[in-house]
Amino acid sequence: MSSGLAIEARGLFKAFDGKTAVDGIDLAVPEGSIYGILGPNGAGKTTTLRMLLGIIDPDRGERSLLGCARPLEVASQVGYLPEERGLYPAMTARESVAFMGALRGLPLGVGRARAEELLKANGLADYVDKPIRSLSKGMAQTVQLFGTIVHRPKLIVLDEPFSGLDAINQGRLEHLIRDEAAGGATIIFSTHVIAHAERLCERIAIIAGGKVRFEGSVAEARDRLRPQVRLRTRVAEGPWRAALPEGAHHEDGLWSFELPEVGIEPLLKALIDAGAGIEDLSIERPGLHDAFVAIAGEQAARDLATSAAEGDPR
Amino acid sequence: MMGFLHSAFVIARRDFVATVWSRTFLFFLMGPLLIIGLSFLFGSMSGRMARQDVHATVAVVATQADFEALAAARERLNPGFATRPLPTLLREAPAGDQAAQVRTLLSNPSKRILAVLTGGLERPTLTGAISGEGPVRRQMSLVVDQARQQRALAAAGRAGPPVTLTVVETDRSEGALAATRAITARAGQLLLFMLTVLLAGMLLSNLLEEKSNKIIEVLAAALPIDAIFVGKLGAMLAVSLVGIAVWVGGAVAGLAFLPSQAGSLPEPAVGWPLFILLVLLYYGANYLLLGALFLGIGSQANSVREVQTLSMPVTVGQMLIFLLASFAVGAFNSPLGLGAAIFPFSSPLTMVARAAQTAELWPHLPALAWQALWVWLTVALSARLFRRNVLKSGGGSGAMLRRIKKT
Repeated sequence: MSSGLAIEARGLFKAFDGKTAVDGIDLAVPEGSIYGILGPNGAGKTTTLRMLLGIIDPDRGERSLLGCARPLEVASQVGYLPEERGLYPAMTARESVAFMGALRGLPLGVGRARAEELLKANGLADYVDKPIRSLSKGMAQTVQLFGTIVHRPKLIVLDEPFSGLDAINQGRLEHLIRDEAAGGATIIFSTHVIAHAERLCERIAIIAGGKVRFEGSVAEARDRLRPQVRLRTRVAEGPWRAALPEGAHHEDGLWSFELPEVGIEPLLKALIDAGAGIEDLSIERPGLHDAFVAIAGEQAARDLATSAAEGDPR
Repeated sequence: MMGFLHSAFVIARRDFVATVWSRTFLFFLMGPLLIIGLSFLFGSMSGRMARQDVHATVAVVATQADFEALAAARERLNPGFATRPLPTLLREAPAGDQAAQVRTLLSNPSKRILAVLTGGLERPTLTGAISGEGPVRRQMSLVVDQARQQRALAAAGRAGPPVTLTVVETDRSEGALAATRAITARAGQLLLFMLTVLLAGMLLSNLLEEKSNKIIEVLAAALPIDAIFVGKLGAMLAVSLVGIAVWVGGAVAGLAFLPSQAGSLPEPAVGWPLFILLVLLYYGANYLLLGALFLGIGSQANSVREVQTLSMPVTVGQMLIFLLASFAVGAFNSPLGLGAAIFPFSSPLTMVARAAQTAELWPHLPALAWQALWVWLTVALSARLFRRNVLKSGGGSGAMLRRIKKT
């Protein structure tokens, strides 16, 4: 396993009761990056993260966390927010954060002090000594998130961190992720919401059906598709149509087609010479959603949309 | 990685504090009071019922002289039948038709007569709804026999008052010790068994709570499962020791007010200090063995109902193990006794009884080492089961038994 990577996995495979959950996944998460694992529910994201963290062992394959093949040996440098959030209902917010720090080797006293700082700095000063059962779901989720970072880990693993949060708290979480990354931490999170990955991630892995369909930067994913040209002409019909590339389609008065390899200029010249009368022209770079559809397929994209609709409270 | 023991300590500290500061712990502390109260209640009820059961009345259709002889014989013999007193005798003067008189007496609801004795001392006949070989017939035979002998002695001018036996009390005798140490042995076994069952149940609830609160994944991501299990076991052991300290303190304080009742439990063969130490060690081993087993079961279950389904055979097994250890009391070198000492789950109960009844110390060392080995094996196996069967996507609760089968 090579250095410079916070996480490296090769050929991770896991089956439950004969059903394959993760099928030979390779990942390489650079140190200090924000890395997104994008995929619909049931794609194998949670199982992958659990294998990376050593909660469950892969049936086959290798993994390395912060350069260590045994993830629990570097547990004190890792923070983990599981998809299924859980805290002790009778414990106070401060004690919960401190306890989660203690699990990662942070002395309880230090954890309590940092917990108070975090809670007060994030508008939860009145809830420091309140039991978890008296907090709203969003507040409890925030408390657990603070428990994930209280020991200042080098690697933060978040499983569906935006799930169940309202728009304001989603925005706060995005800030927090950026802040932690700016502080030098590596962050890897799973999501089925493309927008979060697109806004936050430097690199992503697109997972569907237990396999990695794409691994690279967001720009590389988008570059998998040619930019889209949108064209409106004054003249509806004419010999100029022969100049349009193959695959161009007409919808709502607009022609859409992929930008030709040779660029837009030869096409424009041909259209003008043939009397198309160009009224409007735009060249759009494809979004991550388009890239996802192209990479993972229409079905995976539909599953992703369903997952997002189920998980997003908005 | 944090040290294994430190990891276990983090879990143990949380569980200990959470348990001791909960209201449930107060109920736990009050457990012995409840047991004592219930024992007293049932003891008094069963005593009353027993008195009602055995207070049989036998009507005696006889002359005044015969009846007085029988009544005197009964008075003389009755103190020897403390647990099952002799039937109360009720005189009925003989009427003309004896058979009809017997039927009338037996069917009289107000007199509630069990049997009727006719024929005087010479030809005694007992009629009633009693067994031919039952205790009422035997007791009445004794009474009639005693009455006849006293009459014969009086006729010979040799009747005298009951013998007064002179008693010289000694501090101890082997016969008395063997009998009384068996009480200590059984008391020790019962204490271990009750405490272990109580604590193992609490441990199981604790694990289930964590599974239902979904905290277990946070713990499993940070610490080795074995350390989590050991921490949980340690916490509950510490909780039980706090409970024992409170109960012993309460008992000592109680005995201070009741000095005449102090020291009523016979001294064990190894002496009190060593016996208490061994009880604590065997209690620890018994609890850890059973607790680890329950943790393994708890890790398979997703709901209280599943736990109940799974733990029922274990509870029945515990009762059988307790019975096995009970049979071994006083027969430690028999095949049954040796088997009970070797079988890991009955070993602590058997060995604690052995400490009460025999002074040999060396068998306790291999026994404790053997039990420690099995504690380790059970914890390791439970942790492995846990890792293999939980924290996986999908499956659902219905898949639990399939998962166990597969494992």
